[in-house]
Amino acid sequence: MIGYLDLVLRLVIWFLLTADFRPANIIIGVCVALVLPRNRTLTAALKDWLHVLWEILVAIPQAYFEAVEIMLRPHAKEDIVMEHVKPNRTPGLIFLDIFLITFTPKTIVLKYHENGLYEVHRVRRRQQAKQGKRAKVKRINS
Amino acid sequence: MIDVLSYGLIVSGIIFWFWGTLPLLGERSVLFKLHSLSVSDTLGSMSIVVGLLLKIPSEWPLLVLALISLAIWNTVLGYVLAYCSSTGGDDV
Repeated sequence: MIGYLDLVLRLVIWFLLTADFRPANIIIGVCVALVLPRNRTLTAALKDWLHVLWEILVAIPQAYFEAVEIMLRPHAKEDIVMEHVKPNRTPGLIFLDIFLITFTPKTIVLKYHENGLYEVHRVRRRQQAKQGKRAKVKRINS
Repeated sequence: MIDVLSYGLIVSGIIFWFWGTLPLLGERSVLFKLHSLSVSDTLGSMSIVVGLLLKIPSEWPLLVLALISLAIWNTVLGYVLAYCSSTGGDDV
């Protein structure tokens, strides 16, 4: 059970790197994946991982959409918002969350606070901020 | 048809590159420059690599690896730069 996703990730990288499916290479790849040190502390639920991976797939077209939007219209406003981290996140999932937020051009995670908040910097077109799940909005540059 | 698509992707990637790199000389904040760099470096380069992928599909394993590395490294370095650009506080 421990880190089977780790193992899959390593094998995927190995086969992309070598592009070779001969038995010898498969055996070497499996050995290398097993021998590399692993993090045995926390394993997250498979459901959470699949959910985040799906969100990353969805984020790719969204990122291109935002890129075109940011290119065509001036985004003069910038602000910093705090976003709550979902409960029961393992370090791996927090990494993917930060990746997901930073990947889209309009938002960048500035800092991850240990007490469960992401500090997110974003650019916007207009003054008023969308509230929703954002905890507080603090304007730095208007 | 494939050629048109792949050249389209490569050209749009180059447009992204120039659009995202030119603001580096401008007056905006460091963080805004990081936002525009994520347009150019991450998305522009990814679209160029996808264009190449359509042109030379036989090299797909290396190009897919390049795509994954581009997405991860550019994004994570963007986060690191943003982290470093903010002033240190008690959470550092």
